Amino acid sequence: MTPAVFDQIRAMASDIFGVPPERITVASSPQTLENWDSIQHLNLVLAIEEKFGLQLSPEEIEQMKSVGETAKLVESKLQATSR
Amino acid sequence: MAIVIQPYRPEHEPAVQEFNRRLQQSSGDPNLVFSSKAIPRWLPPADNNPVWNELFVAVEGSFVRGAYGLKQEVIFVRGKGAYRIACYHHPLSEGIIDRSYASVGVLLARDALARQPFLYALGMGGSERPIAKMLKALGFSLTPIPFYFRVVHPQRFLVEMQALRQSRWRASMMSIAAATGAGWLAIKTAQGVASLRTRPGDFVVEEIGEFSDWADELWNRAKETVHLAAVRDANTLRLLYPSQVSTIKRLRVGRNGTAIGWAIIGERRKDPKFGQMRVGSIVDCWASPENAPAVVKAATQALEKDGVDLIVSNQSHHLWWRAFERGGFLKGPSNFVFAASRKLTELLQPLEEDRSSFHITRADGDGLPANF
Repeated sequence: MTPAVFDQIRAMASDIFGVPPERITVASSPQTLENWDSIQHLNLVLAIEEKFGLQLSPEEIEQMKSVGETAKLVESKLQATSR
Repeated sequence: MAIVIQPYRPEHEPAVQEFNRRLQQSSGDPNLVFSSKAIPRWLPPADNNPVWNELFVAVEGSFVRGAYGLKQEVIFVRGKGAYRIACYHHPLSEGIIDRSYASVGVLLARDALARQPFLYALGMGGSERPIAKMLKALGFSLTPIPFYFRVVHPQRFLVEMQALRQSRWRASMMSIAAATGAGWLAIKTAQGVASLRTRPGDFVVEEIGEFSDWADELWNRAKETVHLAAVRDANTLRLLYPSQVSTIKRLRVGRNGTAIGWAIIGERRKDPKFGQMRVGSIVDCWASPENAPAVVKAATQALEKDGVDLIVSNQSHHLWWRAFERGGFLKGPSNFVFAASRKLTELLQPLEEDRSSFHITRADGDGLPANF
């Protein structure tokens, strides 16, 4: 996972979940971030789709179980699109 | 293991019952419950039916992690014709009790949109509730459907509202009473002033067991006066309001031997926000605009005769607003919201201009036959 993608996802997560960026790690998840509920999960999906110009499938949405996994997913999708 | 959304089949029933048990146990909310049967009791799918319900479950291995329903129906849009659309209802997600399933709510809503892009939801308890917020984030437009009420027994109403000191409803009612005078006199006066303008003319009301051809004539005569309405022809009405359902009454309103309108009325289930009051509902109604006041009057009289303390209705069409106001109804705060998907909103353009000509009532959506 490149720091650039992780940093962007972290910035989004910080905005959406209302948590300072320094408190967000690769392991941050719905279990560790108070505001990560269904609606904020949707907001994260929509923000990623808009920012990176991606369409996330149901399987991919389900893979977003932590900030790290989300960043990994976005990175692999970006790589697949640039090929 | 991946979560897969699929049609609800009888073999899922034990897992749905387990899902319901988990939701209720963890949330303490008895209303968090999905249909225990794969075949819906109301509007089960059947060949050639214009309106039916279908249910879906989000399955993870042997577990159900979410579920929702789609009520498939046909709407009439003035100048554009008939369109098949669906009502998204009863979405329930394991995410409510376990945030590791926070994605399920998104999966359900997107799955419904993929199955029917012309999608709507109705009610939802207000635009600030989670489901409404989620739909808004998905690009749905939200429109509150105005709420009307008529106090039949002011004394009882005031006693019950007194007991509901914390409710937003009571606060609104009390402020109306306070603004117009005090107590029952204020209510009677406000309603009386409104109803002084009523001249519904003569009419005859008859309780019927089932809708028949006359309802087709009424549907065809009045549909051009609305911008949007779910089809209410006789065939559809027989399915929506089956004769064996005893929680509602079907009223045919006539004049000089001809049907001029109809109404569906019923007594609502007990609801803590209304205390011990008996609350009647004008669930649905249909007529040409000039006959709307007679239908409102007929429905009101029938509910009053049944002994209810309060009568409520949700109405979106401006001509029905006028009919209710002239029938002595007052307007209250509404938490009954119509949410239209992006595609449906496009179809309904210009929405801002036309939304007060939509005919949406408590009967649209998923509320029948008992939950109105």
